Amino acid sequence: MALLEVEKVTKRFGGLVALNDVSFSVAQGEILGIIGPNGAGKTTLFSAISGFAPPSSGDVRFDGTSIVGVLPDRLVRRGLIRSFQIVQTFADMTTLDVVTTAALTRRPIREAIDYAAHVLGRVGLAGKEHLTPLTLSLQDKKLLELAKCLATDPRCILLDEVMAGLTMAETDKPIAVVRELNRQGVTIVMVEHVMPVIMQLATRMVVINFGEKIAEGSPADIVKDQHVIDAYFGEHLDA
Amino acid sequence: MRPEFYKVLASPVLWGILILAAPLPFLLPSYYLHIVILSLVYVALASSWNIVGGMAGQISLAHSLFIGTGAMLSTALLLKLGINMWVGLLISAAISAMLAAMIAWIDYRFRLGHLSFVLITLAFAEMGGLVVEGWDFLGGASGLLLPRDTGHFLDFQFGGSHGAFWVMLLLAVVCVLVNVAILNAPLGYYLRTIRDNENAARAIGVNVLRYKVAAMVISAVLASIVGTAYVRYLTFADPYLLISPVITIEIVLFATVGGLGSAFGPALGALLLVPLGEILRGQLGGVLPGLHYFIYGIVVIAVILITPQGLLPLFERLWKRRPGAAATRPPTVAP
Ligand SMILES: Nc1ncnc2c1ncn2[C@@H]1O[C@H](COP(=O)(O)OP(=O)(O)OP(=O)(O)O)[C@@H](O)[C@H]1O
Ligand SMILES: [Mg+2]
Repeated sequence: MALLEVEKVTKRFGGLVALNDVSFSVAQGEILGIIGPNGAGKTTLFSAISGFAPPSSGDVRFDGTSIVGVLPDRLVRRGLIRSFQIVQTFADMTTLDVVTTAALTRRPIREAIDYAAHVLGRVGLAGKEHLTPLTLSLQDKKLLELAKCLATDPRCILLDEVMAGLTMAETDKPIAVVRELNRQGVTIVMVEHVMPVIMQLATRMVVINFGEKIAEGSPADIVKDQHVIDAYFGEHLDA
Repeated sequence: MRPEFYKVLASPVLWGILILAAPLPFLLPSYYLHIVILSLVYVALASSWNIVGGMAGQISLAHSLFIGTGAMLSTALLLKLGINMWVGLLISAAISAMLAAMIAWIDYRFRLGHLSFVLITLAFAEMGGLVVEGWDFLGGASGLLLPRDTGHFLDFQFGGSHGAFWVMLLLAVVCVLVNVAILNAPLGYYLRTIRDNENAARAIGVNVLRYKVAAMVISAVLASIVGTAYVRYLTFADPYLLISPVITIEIVLFATVGGLGSAFGPALGALLLVPLGEILRGQLGGVLPGLHYFIYGIVVIAVILITPQGLLPLFERLWKRRPGAAATRPPTVAP
């Protein structure tokens, strides 16, 4: 059964149609990759699903019930969490404090602190528990975004470009974490520009261009799709 | 609750200070006892304000509304309706809690920015002042005079300044411990994430409205109770003192100078600045009117410029650097 269903979602910002009639569904245990050129509407799609910017029309269902209008923090408690493309920092807290707050979603405080330390180790931030997120490198900030998501024990994670800006070697750690999470049954939807990463992780892909879904299929099929080549790969492959 | 809270509760320093402080009323001349009591009042108030202003980072100027409700309403209930002041204390605290919840809700519902929040809380405080001044039930502009304190505990009387000292000591300790408790509980984590980044807090599951309301209500209830006890000590319920924005500004000042957001910073600020202000006024008030304010102002500005995070972090740094401190002894490197 589908864990997450997006049905005819449209999002308007004034006159701008950022998403137009987008539909797809994500099965329990899947890794769905979402790709599309800059400004295609990928982040807007995540905001619409996760309650930060509800759709202008259409429906989003999580685990069979509509979640349109449900606040983001409630969705986190129900097991749906997103990461942010623009990494969110906290000025006066340590990374351990931030991840502990996320862990408090489902655990009492002492357990939450231990679990947060464990999660930081798991994403590769061991030893950086007492730094403030502001002072972390870009790579570490991205890993912190991942750690915050993990600490809430989600059933479904929306990852918005957690590998962007990293070198190939730096993506090893997050890729391993995503794989392992997925093995444990967590459903993953990820937006990524780094094609080699998404090609090896995704079990299925959705392509968005100018706010519309233009293709959907296995990674192997997607790279052969003429619309996709025109809209997306063309510019990248020529470069 | 993190174990750190129980460590503070069981700390010999805490109990040592309390045991040493308890006999002070018998030792101090009344003028100095008054300064100590006043300091404790402000320790309690600055600590209660810190929950909203420091931990949640919301500069609320509505604190005088809660202090004033605790003071003026409980007094009016006693004088006009004959309601026991203990009951009045509870009624005032409940009304303060409702006002606080309403302000927090308005802040959330209308997504007030920092400046709007400051201005709206100030407007509420001013409205509170106008209600008191315009409504004879609450004493109007001339205030209300409580009956003499004959020490009947059941009538909320503690026997003058000796009793007032112990009551204020208790309230100050309670307010500081509530700060310690919150910082070591989930609420402390939630408030700090909300302060640093409200949207990102929401994104990791923090119910922003619930915890903003909780912070405001806890802060207001404490302020209201302190207000009731303070007016009992003063005997005269003076609206220009108790429900004026000036008292809030003083509280914000003490908390900021001591160290916002920390459990002990606001208390430290009040313990240093209240006696300083009173002594300066006593010594210089007659010399040149306003001179003590001037010196006081210079001290405050100097502290804020030298240690922007407040005095507490400065003291902590000095403490770690004291001669013989193990943690900072330079590592001995073999040649
Ligand atoms: N809050 C907003 N108000 C107005 N327009 C917006 C808003 N958010 C996004 N947009 C517009 O919607 C369109 C889609 O933006 P979005 O950020 O979703 O793209 P994206 O696919 O995530 O791009 P990128 O790959 O650069 O991250 C863009 O034209 C953007 O300018
Ligand atoms: Mg984006």
